[in-house]
Amino acid sequence: MSDKRTMTLNLSDAEMRALEALCEQKDLSKTAVIRQALRLYQLVDARLASGGKLFFEDSKKAKAELIAL
Amino acid sequence: MTSRRPTRLLRRSDEKLVQAEILNEISRDEVIDIHMDWQPERLAALKNLRSQGKPWPENWHWDWSTKADNLNFLAYRCFAVECEGRAQGLMMIATIGWRGRIDNQIGKPVLYIEYIESAPWNLAGLVETPRFSGVGIALIRTAIQVSADEGFAGRIALHSLPQSQPFYRRYMHDLGMDASHGENLCYFEMTEKQANQFVKGRPS
Repeated sequence: MSDKRTMTLNLSDAEMRALEALCEQKDLSKTAVIRQALRLYQLVDARLASGGKLFFEDSKKAKAELIAL
Repeated sequence: MTSRRPTRLLRRSDEKLVQAEILNEISRDEVIDIHMDWQPERLAALKNLRSQGKPWPENWHWDWSTKADNLNFLAYRCFAVECEGRAQGLMMIATIGWRGRIDNQIGKPVLYIEYIESAPWNLAGLVETPRFSGVGIALIRTAIQVSADEGFAGRIALHSLPQSQPFYRRYMHDLGMDASHGENLCYFEMTEKQANQFVKGRPS
């Protein structure tokens, strides 16, 4: 991506631990994880704003839980 | 803002490698312009096939002007190959929502190729003699590069129409029919190692 800008991000210890755990699991840098989160948030938020719904399905495909950001 | 990177295509009329460019991150309007440039030749070629009683390619109905709406979101990006002043191929990628399914990369993010297509005059199933070859290769190389830039180590994935499966089978793992996919297509995934081999093994 072109024209990158730098910012400082203040996180609590718990938030930093969560970020580091995601980096470890996904084999990504902190910047990459934050980018992923932003893209996902933007997409989901837009879909919800236009009347869409977000569901999670369990492994048996028996239950669905609606979540909203 | 669209940036450009040099690449090469094979011009079939004289079998020469010619200079081309990868257009990075093209806009929604640019995608629509390309669609409008392609559409007359696509329709003419389809009409010709029908008059000859030949089957149409499986992606004959693709409409990039509607796919371009995805570019309103950061998660999607579009790339084109340009040569002799016209787009010779288009690719849309997604950088979220897809995780590796192969053993050594299960759960790790992969760059997903939503759509990839050569211009109508470059499609062997649509015209007798394509004008340029290497469009798909150039776009796949771009996808690998973007995957690496994103921290995905070159890992990419896609679902393929039957007509394109032999091509992808040469370079990627074929995980078979994907029942979870709406169109029940074959799912292909490229590992970091395969990505390195692909980049090294092909001319830039």
